[in-house]
Amino acid sequence: MTSRLLLRGPAGALALAGALAAGAGAAGPAAAADAPLLAPPGASSCTGCHASRPLPDSSIPRIAGRKAGEIVDFMNNYRSGAWPSSVMGRIAKGFDEQQIAAIAAWFAAQPQ
Amino acid sequence: MATRRTFLRISAAAGLAAPSIVSAQAPGRVVVLGGGFAGATAARTLKALQPSLDVTLVEPNPIYTSCPFSNNVLAALRELSQQQFGYDAVRKSGVTLARTAATAVDAEARTVTLADGNRLSFDRLVMAPGIDINWTALPGYDEAAAQKMPHAWKAGPQTTLLRDQLQAMEDGGLVVMSAPANPFRCPPGPYERASLVAYWLKIWKPKSKLLILDSKDAFSKQRLFQNAWAQLYPGLVEWVPLSQGGKVTSVDPATLTFVTDFGRHKAAVGNVIPPQKAGAIAQQAGVADRSGWCPVEPVSFESTLRPGIHVIGDAAIMGGMPKSAFAANAQAKVCAAAIVERLAGRTPPDPILINTCYSLVAPDYGISIAGVYRPDKGVLADVPGAGGVSPLDVVGGFRGQEAQNAASWFRTITAEVFG
Repeated sequence: MTSRLLLRGPAGALALAGALAAGAGAAGPAAAADAPLLAPPGASSCTGCHASRPLPDSSIPRIAGRKAGEIVDFMNNYRSGAWPSSVMGRIAKGFDEQQIAAIAAWFAAQPQ
Repeated sequence: MATRRTFLRISAAAGLAAPSIVSAQAPGRVVVLGGGFAGATAARTLKALQPSLDVTLVEPNPIYTSCPFSNNVLAALRELSQQQFGYDAVRKSGVTLARTAATAVDAEARTVTLADGNRLSFDRLVMAPGIDINWTALPGYDEAAAQKMPHAWKAGPQTTLLRDQLQAMEDGGLVVMSAPANPFRCPPGPYERASLVAYWLKIWKPKSKLLILDSKDAFSKQRLFQNAWAQLYPGLVEWVPLSQGGKVTSVDPATLTFVTDFGRHKAAVGNVIPPQKAGAIAQQAGVADRSGWCPVEPVSFESTLRPGIHVIGDAAIMGGMPKSAFAANAQAKVCAAAIVERLAGRTPPDPILINTCYSLVAPDYGISIAGVYRPDKGVLADVPGAGGVSPLDVVGGFRGQEAQNAASWFRTITAEVFG
């Protein structure tokens, strides 16, 4: 619980994104210093289906607070078609590895 | 440790990550016009991202009635009350509600005049007026005609009027629906409506037929819809495209007649889905062009005609993005983040947006279309290789799962925006 709260801030999210993207330019320390709670490109659309707060009786899983590595795995498997899906395969194909890593890190840093 | 944790939590909540900029700046005033999926999302997101902002949402209706899932009301699968949402949660998020209409926008003076006589000043204005019916575009179709031949394209009394007409119709009656040329609100909507009305007719009025007169030769998810009609409602649904005389050139509400260049179709129940344009305040504010819709740049959705005014949702021209509730919600979140950035003196980054639209062709049979969009050459363009519609051939419970996902999407988005 404590570690999750510590990671809620932008610095935590961007640091994680940086780690996952292996030094991607957008996630450098300068960006972290200037940015408010700015979701990486694409992330804010996700909560149209994946509820930002707990929601009962939904067939669509929440992604807030999940491990970043899990989210990256999901997206990669959807994108490659390795996992069958309805809309997620079509959506995942619109994102590259760095974008997926940044989105995953941002959601991992959100409250579960 | 406790102190550091507290500081980080407050930072996260209050957006103090850049104290040198934020604290030096007077709080911005943002006015949002229209409390639908776009406007209500924008107001809440602005407040969540930057609680020091003064955010006022101008919306005359105390209750919002959602168009998504309102076709289920026509098929007696839902009550209209299940489509309705209040603004309590929006208010509790710190947004000031002005329960009145905006009557004028002065882009130069940066003020909005309200019907209650007040005037609001803004640093940034977000306009989310949705659609208005273009009452001059289809001869014979005016506001009085809509009481005889409902459009039901703004959910509410029009929805229940059309439902009640269907229920009062004798078995064997002809239901006629006209669909407009692009662009219009909810591109798959007329065909979802046709599907669910056909579902209902098949059970309750099985001798009846449904005729769709279309001003287009192609429509969203077309093959999926047509395959489903052939499978589920054989002989019940007939679609007449533009090239076969489907364009309705006038209507006669007294006799419920649709007139095309090729003939006249007298209906037992007539549903006119008419040509549309951006809500009237957009025309008054000068943010709509000659098309009736509002051109915007693709990063923060600022009007290309009136600086300082952002337009989101169905009223805006969003390149490849369709006019959907999902798109409106996605655009609102991007717009709100961009406004926070710009008020702080920063340049917002290029966004990526997603759209997902589900349609039901039966209560347990869903189909979808999705897209991913980014700015390209001044417009929001489809990201190549992404997006598309549900597969034509599926196995197992695919359609049923998409129907479930449609319902889950609706619960999610209404909770996100109004809950």
